[in-house]
Amino acid sequence: MTRPLTATGPDRSAAPDTQAVRSAATANGGRAVPGAEKRVTVRVTGWSLHLPDADGLATDLADWSGVAPQRLAGALAGAVPADRAYEVLGRKGLLYKEPATRLALCAVHRALGLPPGRNLPTGVDPTTAVVVAGNLGNVATVADLARTVRAEGGRAVSPLAAPNASSNVVASTVALWFGFGGANLMICSGATAGLDAVRAATLLLRAGRAARVVVVGAEPADEVATGLHQAGRPPFPLRAGAACLVLTADPGSADAGTVDGPGAGGGAGLVLRPAGSPPAYRLLGLGGFDPAARWGDCYGAAGVVNLALAAALLDAGLAGPLAVACGDDTDGWRAAVLDIDGGRLTVLDDGRGAAVFDADGREAVRDGGRGAER
Amino acid sequence: MPARLTASQLRTCLGDGAETFAALLAGRSGIGPLRHGDPKALNVAHGYHVDDGATRAFAASRWVADCARRAVADCGLDPRRRRVVALVGTGLRELAAVEAYATGGAAFPAHRLHFGDAVRAAVPGLREVVTVSNACSAGGHVLALAEDLLMLGEADAVLVCGVDATTESMLAMIGRVVDHPTDAVRPFDADRQGVLLGDGAAAAVLVPDDDARPALARIVATGLSCDAHHETAPSVAGIERAMRDALTRGGRDPAEVDLVVAHGTGTALNDPAECAAIRQVLVADGGDPLVTAVKGATGHTSGSAALVNLDVAWRCLAGGRVPPVVGLRRPLPEGAGLRFTGTATASTPRLAQCDAFGFGGVNAVTLVEAP
Repeated sequence: MTRPLTATGPDRSAAPDTQAVRSAATANGGRAVPGAEKRVTVRVTGWSLHLPDADGLATDLADWSGVAPQRLAGALAGAVPADRAYEVLGRKGLLYKEPATRLALCAVHRALGLPPGRNLPTGVDPTTAVVVAGNLGNVATVADLARTVRAEGGRAVSPLAAPNASSNVVASTVALWFGFGGANLMICSGATAGLDAVRAATLLLRAGRAARVVVVGAEPADEVATGLHQAGRPPFPLRAGAACLVLTADPGSADAGTVDGPGAGGGAGLVLRPAGSPPAYRLLGLGGFDPAARWGDCYGAAGVVNLALAAALLDAGLAGPLAVACGDDTDGWRAAVLDIDGGRLTVLDDGRGAAVFDADGREAVRDGGRGAER
Repeated sequence: MPARLTASQLRTCLGDGAETFAALLAGRSGIGPLRHGDPKALNVAHGYHVDDGATRAFAASRWVADCARRAVADCGLDPRRRRVVALVGTGLRELAAVEAYATGGAAFPAHRLHFGDAVRAAVPGLREVVTVSNACSAGGHVLALAEDLLMLGEADAVLVCGVDATTESMLAMIGRVVDHPTDAVRPFDADRQGVLLGDGAAAAVLVPDDDARPALARIVATGLSCDAHHETAPSVAGIERAMRDALTRGGRDPAEVDLVVAHGTGTALNDPAECAAIRQVLVADGGDPLVTAVKGATGHTSGSAALVNLDVAWRCLAGGRVPPVVGLRRPLPEGAGLRFTGTATASTPRLAQCDAFGFGGVNAVTLVEAP
């Protein structure tokens, strides 16, 4: 990656461009961390969009991209709402599952290419990690519990709702449902959560903590969630949806798909252009085709949704690379880049130090959570 | 890969880190009457509360911001000049504010559910702030991510935070599973009655192992796993995987671990499962660690619990004394053969294991040694 991309803060200048990635071989006083790779190519081996009632979005996306509508329709079809999740997942086990959890399970089920019906894992796979992005998944349940306690006392609450009192219920339920025993993370960082989750996933792959990471974005749009979302005065209304990306790593390669840390040496993996250079890529997100404006705001899931939409477009034949972005002025901005490399969907940049430029070469989005300081 | 702990700040019901450790050595508990919610309705009469004299509204944001500010000041790092990333681990975020909203309070912007704004305001210049909501082991999970960021050269330092303030919905769940209100947390006790919540916040600063500044301790490695076994009940196999992952990543032998700062929640299920895992991973391979636990004194501080354990661990490594398991009177049968500390014990451990296990079977185990 060429650096600096653009001046984004004084700390950048303090980080020499040539700073080497700490080698895994010497990371532990000479003892290698098993499986840790300073360079990996992150591939997207599966993806799904689970956005209920998004036919209009498929049409808009086709108009914008020039991809034939029928090539996108399939990717956006079949997304049943949470109360019909049984059509994808089977009927058993859905009692007391939050809408966001149901949507997340549907998205994973479809990204794994499973046939409709309950998936029963044969065992626990310790090499597959789960990273879920979302902020509002359990707020309705928490609100309900608080109202019930006040009105009828604690005896009136169901112990079956207990897991939902904890915000990580979506991530842990995905692990339990599919038997994924690797690291399990629930990212609740607001508007940046989706691409924060993608970045956490690439970190798990590069640090040798997982061979495969299931990344999910999921948000509900119930009354409590909508009330909190609106109180932040967002430009677009909250909409319930989910998406999933299955990421794996090819170790050791240093091709165009190499994901380097910022400050890493070596010029491989040039994907984003320095400030002032010609415009980069088509962008999914604010400043480009923004699904939040066209369809609705998936808030914490938006980064994953936008990346999965990019996957759908590339898969449908649109020439890449495609940039995606998510964020807001409070939580900051994140961007990532996806392309087909060697015939496979590849995450070219997971947003560390990314800058994306619009068609006129102006910086459209930048990272770093600096919104609050501007 | 190892990292250096250059600052560690706590706020528990017992005070800051030094005050908390002194109380632990003295066998003192910070338990008091429940100050959040209606004890009768919740069937919970006690809590381990932070009382800073201010409102409980958005208290978690206030506490974590305060710890973050103090930790960064301690280590003399200027985030405006270095690449510093902040990670905040939490179980309950500001869900207490959602409960207030649901029962007649005002709506608040969704971004106040997490801690980006609060921590950025307290520590100007941070590259980014990411809130990770990983239940009772959130602090351990952000420690692991911090180690990875440093190993891969993506940050010069990582500000690792943990925080939780009591919520009524979680209290209701705790009260729902016991016949009578629990009178105290008694980790590893044969007559333990269940868990109680503690307010708590923590902030630690991690730097790469080759950083020259003075360090409190060396973080050898953090292992992670998910049980994928049951929604709330722990799995010995899942906990064992996290323990073995930490040892493997750190390149250490089980017999080297001579202190365990246990998760020890005083619940029916956690304590026997944790004992079984310690036995099978450490003792079966020649280990004979002292075992201590803090939740009898601090309550279950959830998102900050792993960082509270880490703070206690470095003080044990540095000070040559290991505090007793406050609340423990008669060890549970499943703990037979394990060396629980009954009183403050003179010992100079060399490698400490800090356990953190959370709802949904999310496990994080951190190994720490003297710098």
